[in-house]
Amino acid sequence: MPRILPQVLKNVLRKPVTVKYPYVRVEPPEGYRGRPVIDKEKCIRCWLCIRACPDRAISVSKETKKPSIWLGRCTFCGECAEVCPTRAIAMTKEFELATYDIQQAKSE
Amino acid sequence: MTFVLPIGPQHPALKEPEFFRFEVKGEEIVDVDIHLGYAHRGIEEALSRRNYKHNIYLSERICGICNVVHTTTYCQAVEQLAGVEPPERAKYIRAIIMELERIHSHLLWLGIAAFQIGFNTLFMLAWRDREYVMDLREMISGSRVHSATNTIGGVRRDVKTEHVPTILRGLEKLERSTKYYINLFGSDRTILARCTNLGVLSKKDAIKFCAVGPLARASDVKTDIRADDPYGAYDALSFNVVIEREGDVLAKGMVRLREILESIRIVRQALKEMPGGPIRTRVGLQMPPNETVERTEAPRGELLYYIRSNGTDTPERVRVRTPTYGNFASMKSMFVGGTVAEIPIVMWGIDPCFGCNDRVTLVDSRTGKTRIVSFDELRRRRK
Repeated sequence: MPRILPQVLKNVLRKPVTVKYPYVRVEPPEGYRGRPVIDKEKCIRCWLCIRACPDRAISVSKETKKPSIWLGRCTFCGECAEVCPTRAIAMTKEFELATYDIQQAKSE
Repeated sequence: MTFVLPIGPQHPALKEPEFFRFEVKGEEIVDVDIHLGYAHRGIEEALSRRNYKHNIYLSERICGICNVVHTTTYCQAVEQLAGVEPPERAKYIRAIIMELERIHSHLLWLGIAAFQIGFNTLFMLAWRDREYVMDLREMISGSRVHSATNTIGGVRRDVKTEHVPTILRGLEKLERSTKYYINLFGSDRTILARCTNLGVLSKKDAIKFCAVGPLARASDVKTDIRADDPYGAYDALSFNVVIEREGDVLAKGMVRLREILESIRIVRQALKEMPGGPIRTRVGLQMPPNETVERTEAPRGELLYYIRSNGTDTPERVRVRTPTYGNFASMKSMFVGGTVAEIPIVMWGIDPCFGCNDRVTLVDSRTGKTRIVSFDELRRRRK
C-alpha cells in the first residue's frame, strides 16, 4: 500500500488527459477530411466526381443540373475533391454530421 | 462426463460476433469447436464488381484496425498487374504509415489484453498512449483510422517537412511509455500471475498449424514477411525480427511490445532516409489479363491478396487471406488443457480480428482437422 502512495498523489494532482468534448473542442489538423462542400459557381458539369466516387454518393439534381453529395454514403476519401478540375469540391474540417433531418445530410 | 460451454456469437468476453463451443470437464477445457462466418459481408464478391480504383476504398474497409496494410497489399498487387513501380518516396511514406498502424494496433492489443485480465488501469494507460499515434496518423493522412493515403501507383498525400518534428516528438513519448510497459510486463505480479504458462503454443505446433505473425514469433518461429520477402521500402530499412521462446500469452505480449520499439526505429529511419521526388505515377485502369499474388506483414501476421484481371477495369477475382484466419488452426492446441477462466485472454492472445474474417471454417472436434464449407452446405447442416 505505501508503495503506490506517491503514484496516487501524482495522479490526483495531474491534469486529465481527456478533453470535456462538447464544451472543449480540439481543432482537427490541416488537411483533415471532413464534410465535403460544393461551390456551385465553380462547377463546370464535367461529372468527373461522379465517376471518381467509390460509393456513388454524388448525384445530380434534375432541376438545377448541379451535383449534391449524400453524406449517408460518403466515406470521406477526398477523391472527388482531388479529381475536380476547378476545385469546386473541398473537404472541410466539419465532422459532427449526425442529424434528424435528411436534407441536412446532403452537401450541396 | 463433459459439458458444452457455448461462447458467442454475442458474448461480453468477445467484442465481435464469433461462436466458440468449448467442451469442459469441470474447469478444464477438453475440446474446442469454432464456427466462423458471422461477420461475412460478401466483400470479395463486391471487389470483383467495382473498378480497380474504387476497390482501394472497399479493401480499406475489410478491417478497421489494419486498413493501410490492406490497401498497400491491394495497391502493390495491382501495380504488379499494371507493371509499374511506385516512386521511392511513396514506398517510404507507405512504410511510415504502416508502421504507425502497427504501433497503434499493438497498443490496442495491450489495452484489451489488460482489460481481459482485469487490469483496467493498464487498459486506460495503453489507450491513452494509442491516442498519440492516432493524432500522428490524423496529421499525416487526414483521418484517424481510414487513412485513404494509398492509391494505385503511389500515395495521395506527402509527409510534409513541418510534420517531421511533431512525429519525432510523438515517437519519443511512445518509446518512453513502451519501455515502461515492457518493464511492467516482465515484473508486475498481476500480469505474471495471469499470463505465464497460459495458452502455450509450442514451436512444433506453431509450424504444424502454420501460425503467422506475432503468434508464431512468440513460439520461436522466425517468420516476418518484411524480412523474408521484402516489399516496398523494407529492403532498405534495417530492423530486427523479434522472437520469444516461451509461446505463452506473456511471450505474445512481449513480442508485440518489442515490435513497437522496432516500428519506432523503422519510422525514424524512414523519416531520415526518405528521398525526395514525386509521390505517385499515373496508372491506367485497363489491366492486361494476368494474375498476381502479393503478401505483406500486417500487425497480426501475413496478409495475402490474389487478384486475377481479365483486360477490363474490374478484377475478375480477388481473394483475401487475413492473418487471423491463418491463426485459427492453432487455437485448439492453445485452449485444450486450460481452464475456463483463461478463455478471454488466450483468445485475445492471437489478436483476433473477426471483421477481417469473412470465410466459414469448421473444426472437426474429434480429429482436429479444419475444412472450409460453403454457406449453403452450412445451412444444410443446420437443418
